[in-house]
Amino acid sequence: MTIYSLYIFDRHCACVYYQDWHRTKRPRVAVEGGILPGVSQVIAPVKSMDASAAVLGSTISSPRNTLSSTSGVVVAVGDSAEPQGNALLQTNASPASSSVAPTGLPFDEEAKLVYGVILSLRNMVKKLSGRDEQFTNYRTSTYKLHLYETVSGYKFVIFSDPNAESLRMALRSIYVGPFVEYVVRNPLAEMDSKERGLDNDYFRAGVDRLIRGLAVFN
Amino acid sequence: MAIFGLWVINKAGGLVYQRNFSDGLAQLTSNENLVLAGTLHGIHAITRNLSPTGTSSGAHVIEGESFKMTILLTPTATKFVLLTSLAETTADSMLQKVYEAYSDAVMKNPFHTPEMPIRSEGFDRRITSLIGS
Repeated sequence: MTIYSLYIFDRHCACVYYQDWHRTKRPRVAVEGGILPGVSQVIAPVKSMDASAAVLGSTISSPRNTLSSTSGVVVAVGDSAEPQGNALLQTNASPASSSVAPTGLPFDEEAKLVYGVILSLRNMVKKLSGRDEQFTNYRTSTYKLHLYETVSGYKFVIFSDPNAESLRMALRSIYVGPFVEYVVRNPLAEMDSKERGLDNDYFRAGVDRLIRGLAVFN
Repeated sequence: MAIFGLWVINKAGGLVYQRNFSDGLAQLTSNENLVLAGTLHGIHAITRNLSPTGTSSGAHVIEGESFKMTILLTPTATKFVLLTSLAETTADSMLQKVYEAYSDAVMKNPFHTPEMPIRSEGFDRRITSLIGS
């Protein structure tokens, strides 16, 4: 029993958050422009050398940098350009998952496929039932995908072991817990911006704690 | 515990057999059913590639809040799909029996063209005795 990965999509079909745990087949980094910034540092496109050097070289390149350099903890918005100032995140990355070489699809392709599947299945279930019924999960021989959709159109998708019970309640608790606390109530997080994801250290740590606390997580 | 319907989808994604057994799901036109079967065929192929670990089969069970679809993929890429209530536990064995009936009453029928819609009284009868009207 285990949990593989979590995706959050907003109502504009964009992937705004990604986190993974026990994946043995990991996605390759997204191509430039294929994915919003601030989704996950693990799969963010690799910046060209001089661009990242320029950012690292200046201490105050953005208002956010002044925050993180003075207090050392206030990083309310995840920024792919400064991965080194991120102690919280680095402790979260499980050594097992980061040591595996990526073999799967590029992340942006994978996110599109996941979204396509849940959208089609959602429409299919609605059509078949003739009611406003939600698609909840599907299972294959090696994984199970669970979907929880909020009223505001956010879609929480989790990949787990095929034998796991329904994880909709766990997804709901991510929504009412870390999501409300660290994204909705976070004045620096730009929800619905179409320009960046929701990634920030507190949210990532909160989700990580919650998922690791689940009975199916081993 | 109820079985709502049965689909047989050929290897190209065309719906070659469709039958409803009990009410509980929406009554769809044959055109709508064709579209849904084609969609399912596509989704099934994608779900194979989304595996976070190792190689995977396509979707086996798809669940909504009040019903589920159980999919049996045969080695010749024909798909048998059974629409049942969530509590139904016999879906897998039922699909095996439907596959048997298909082999006997459809594949052994010299008048049947492979991959074309199934119009066989024998198959209909076998399904009726398996699942009911």
